[in-house]
Amino acid sequence: MRNRKNFSFYSFFTCKKKYEFIEGMLLILPAITVLFIFGYFSFIYAFYLSFLKWNYITDPVFVGIENYVRAIDELVKGISGAPWYEVPFFMGIRNTLIYTIIVVPIQTMLAIVLAAIVSSRIKGSSVFMTSYLLPGFTCSVIIALIFIYFFGQRGFINYLLNQIMPGFGYPDWLYSKNLVIPAMAIVAIWGTSSNLAILFIASMQAVPRDIIEQARLDGAGPIRRFIHVILPMIKPTIVYAIIVGMIGALQMFDLSFVMAGPQGGVEYSGMTVVLDIYRTAFLQLNPGYASAKAVLFFVLMYIPTLIFLRKHGGGLK
Amino acid sequence: MPLNTRIILVVAVLTIIVIGLLAYTLYTTQKQTQQQQQIVIRFSGWGAGETEVRNYEKAIARFTEKYPNIIVKYEPISQMYHENILSSFPAGAAPDVFYVDSSWASIFIEQGVLKPIDDIEQNITLLKAQYYEFLLQPFIGSDGKLYGLPKDWSILYLAYNKQCLAQAGLTTVPGDWSGFLASLEIVTDKTGLPALVDHYHWRTFVTIALSYGAPFPDFSSEQSIKSWFNNEAVKKALRDYMDLYLNGYVRRVEAGKVPYVVLPRDVDSGWGGEAFGKQKACFTLEGSWMIPFIRDQFPNFKFGEQWDIAVLPQGPAGRITLAFTVILGINSRSSHVNEAYQFAKYIAGKEGQEFLVVKLGQTLPSVKELANHTDLWPEHRKTLEQLSKYDEVYVWPVMKSNKAGVIISTIDNILQSYVANMKETKTYDLNNLVNDLVNGIIAAIK
Repeated sequence: MRNRKNFSFYSFFTCKKKYEFIEGMLLILPAITVLFIFGYFSFIYAFYLSFLKWNYITDPVFVGIENYVRAIDELVKGISGAPWYEVPFFMGIRNTLIYTIIVVPIQTMLAIVLAAIVSSRIKGSSVFMTSYLLPGFTCSVIIALIFIYFFGQRGFINYLLNQIMPGFGYPDWLYSKNLVIPAMAIVAIWGTSSNLAILFIASMQAVPRDIIEQARLDGAGPIRRFIHVILPMIKPTIVYAIIVGMIGALQMFDLSFVMAGPQGGVEYSGMTVVLDIYRTAFLQLNPGYASAKAVLFFVLMYIPTLIFLRKHGGGLK
Repeated sequence: MPLNTRIILVVAVLTIIVIGLLAYTLYTTQKQTQQQQQIVIRFSGWGAGETEVRNYEKAIARFTEKYPNIIVKYEPISQMYHENILSSFPAGAAPDVFYVDSSWASIFIEQGVLKPIDDIEQNITLLKAQYYEFLLQPFIGSDGKLYGLPKDWSILYLAYNKQCLAQAGLTTVPGDWSGFLASLEIVTDKTGLPALVDHYHWRTFVTIALSYGAPFPDFSSEQSIKSWFNNEAVKKALRDYMDLYLNGYVRRVEAGKVPYVVLPRDVDSGWGGEAFGKQKACFTLEGSWMIPFIRDQFPNFKFGEQWDIAVLPQGPAGRITLAFTVILGINSRSSHVNEAYQFAKYIAGKEGQEFLVVKLGQTLPSVKELANHTDLWPEHRKTLEQLSKYDEVYVWPVMKSNKAGVIISTIDNILQSYVANMKETKTYDLNNLVNDLVNGIIAAIK
């Protein structure tokens, strides 16, 4: 009776050290459950599928590493110049890399500049912030659908470019094999740099004012203060933004699906790896081969990300 | 209160309680019996819009009135229909009745996913006789059994703007392909409008090829693919088709003239029907699905007054058109096969189609008897009247292969890539195109 009288949830979770572990586990249990079901289980299941030949309807047949051999063969063929229709996986990797190389540096730099403008508290920066952050809260598919009209032959983009550069011409951006990836990159940069800008605004506001003040007293102008004081201080956020941006760019699906079409556009010029995986799994009814491509792509992309993180990610710890 | 009154009151209360209990017991027993007798089946199709979904719900309500022991759960799939259906099989959650497109039918039949109608229907000959025979062909398995009932169908026709024709000084659309293709330049020069809008895809190409005398496409092996594309009629059809864009768009635009053939996107449209409805092109080769779209989106563009329907031009091998249909298939693993069939037979039968197809005017009824129905829209009636003018009607996907979906997307992608590149290079090579088509299809079916 005495023990019962003294019991309280407060004491159960806070006073007794040994229960802290249980408390922690209980708190993270919902997140862990979701992560295991939709993350690790899916990954493990995809890995298992990659060794099978299956079309959803018949019984799966174990084929060993045949799917991996086929995927690697496609990459080798693509590098040696095979026609585009024989190597969609290679086209997907090539386009995804080009897209990532265009998008990640530009969106990161643009986000830093935007954050700097907003943090400078100059007149009108709050209006600017609101207007620029708005696309970040809009669904990317809706943005892509709007941009389809902008990128038409008689669309706004061609009109604008002809106003700036008379005689630019009226290319069909989404129907030209050289312009579809830049078109998707423009949409992505416009849509995502505002999201990253939020991170940088928070990071810049966390830079101690006295350090900036000290630099100012030492005679550093605004640009030097930004380059030599603020940028080194927000380096962990920059690394984080690059990693997140890279992951997002490598996983790009929605823009290519909407802007280039589910078949990957003219000569697969708008094909991305994830779009190819989707096509292989659901249009060609070959989830085994699609899974092998997914695993292979994960390995190919995980290694450079890890190297980058090892080299520049010290501040993240 | 006197004793007698008290006794009467108690007896009355007890009587009410007993009657109430009896009524409740009777009601629940009846309900349980009814529930035990009722069978629930699941039905899936792609929801082509809010109206179609609502109409199906109404049709299901009519069916339930007629067959109260069968409850139909309607589960329309608005996006990625085939992907959803396919993934529902390994999950053990596939519906009892579902749409099967003719391009997917062969693989579904081959894998034993569909229950043969012959195994359920006792009078199969009479049932088959209700439908157009050509519509049943893609759904007959190698065992000779029928694997579903066509719920409706569409036919490919030539829609033309009457004003364009009058301005060009033509009284009718030329009846053969060579005359028709030659007339396009005249129509554009006289009207100032692009004459033909086309997607540059398998649908038009195979129609021209077959009317030129090409054999029925067999894409079941590497050898048969090579053989088909190296057929002279196929090559001629491909050359005429691609030359049409080269001369009719690329060279005309280069010369600063209005093109006489355009892609829908060239005239800011999503598809041929939209470009035609916007009156940005004089002719289009489209199917019955265009008719409700034109009525809905362009109500002032009147059939009979401003636009009309003509039969497709004929070639040396005769006049050919295509038919497009979807069946209601029965899941072979369904535990209520008979009830599922009862429902499919109702929806795809005379009564169901009279309500869902004829009165609502979406497409053509697959039940022959309904072709003379008074409620049939005049546009649809005209296409059905023209049916007898065709020497052959081939059902989509117009090929022998169990990977039709992949093959068609490969052919369309290659054709459209060549057309897009033609705008920049101002030329194309027919032999390269044939090689790319052959190798592309072989790569796709591996």
